[in-house]
Amino acid sequence: MSSDPRDVFGLDRRAVARAFDRASASYDAAAALQERVRDELLGRLEELQIQPRAVLDLGAGTGHATRELKRRYSQSLTVAVDIAPGMLERARAQSRWLRRFERVRADAYALPFRDQSFDLVFSSLMLQWCDDLDAVFAEISRVLTPGGLLLFSTFGPGTLGELREAWSVSDARMSGVSDARMNSVSDARTRSVSDARISIANDVAITHAGNHVNHFFDPHALGMALMHAGFAEPVLDVDRIVMQYPDALTLMRELKAIGAHNVTRGRPRGLTGRARLAAMTQAYETQRRDGLLPATYEVIHATSWGGPKRTEEHEFPRETVISPSAIKRRGQP
Amino acid sequence: MDSRLIDLLACPVSKAPVFFAESRQLIVCPTSKLAYPIKDGIPAMLPEDAIKLEDNDPVLKR
Repeated sequence: MSSDPRDVFGLDRRAVARAFDRASASYDAAAALQERVRDELLGRLEELQIQPRAVLDLGAGTGHATRELKRRYSQSLTVAVDIAPGMLERARAQSRWLRRFERVRADAYALPFRDQSFDLVFSSLMLQWCDDLDAVFAEISRVLTPGGLLLFSTFGPGTLGELREAWSVSDARMSGVSDARMNSVSDARTRSVSDARISIANDVAITHAGNHVNHFFDPHALGMALMHAGFAEPVLDVDRIVMQYPDALTLMRELKAIGAHNVTRGRPRGLTGRARLAAMTQAYETQRRDGLLPATYEVIHATSWGGPKRTEEHEFPRETVISPSAIKRRGQP
Repeated sequence: MDSRLIDLLACPVSKAPVFFAESRQLIVCPTSKLAYPIKDGIPAMLPEDAIKLEDNDPVLKR
């Protein structure tokens, strides 16, 4: 191992240069994945005869889906929400005269809308940024009308299986090397997950993936969280999309753009980290086919309906709400 | 700004109704006494970006 810090710097610079070299290809692949998922989700609206008055595109990014939603529901008030100001600034280009949509910068955990404001909430590839499903679903439930539709897609736990596999080979190879930082991972995005159910789902995913790749909620955990937030009739299905990349670094760079990276804070750093990265890259190379590296994305699509709004003192299971006296009255003349 | 949007907007902290103070380009919540700036025509409704208003701030009198 060299003690010359310039070597370290040089290694980093080469990696960065390679990454930038591939930047356009990387962006295209990320955009292609997002477009494909968005189109699939928009396609599901075709089957549903709804005429929403107010539509929320949550995690709208540059507004491609928002524009399409406004085209379909031209009479609706359509609102693009994103936490990134740069994304919303670019979304302006999608908003046309007579097809104008509104843009609001906000956090999905603290939506700036009154209760029951929207009868359609659309969200394509945003939820993977959120660790506290209960909190984000509670907010969506709050702003959704009873009987309103939530339609979303997010990544499932099978996402990036090839990358996880390559990391596990690398970790096995490097297991003799200690890195204290590996054990002090703290993801600033992680909110306190109150629900033990979800914690368990997380723990299982973390065990499998180490801390190299994000943990994603499985359809069961998503469905349970939806029910818990008062949504009715959640329907979830899984789609697998294989994207191809010129190399592992390009893939990892792209993951940052779509919320599928491990949030770099959690990744081991320093010389040990670089050796691990090199070992991972080498392991991933064994999967190269036709000159490209495959990466599988497991995309979960979900529809769910806004349930009746329950008040605090009325929190019974729905089947006990009808009192026997009420039934008796119906039978009487 | 579409008046229908103002009717839907709420303070992300108090969830109470807000109003648009055009002169100062702020979305104002009288309940939490927080104001949210409009940047490049986009309301920035983030709790961490909110401006804490004094009780006697004239913007609270719409």
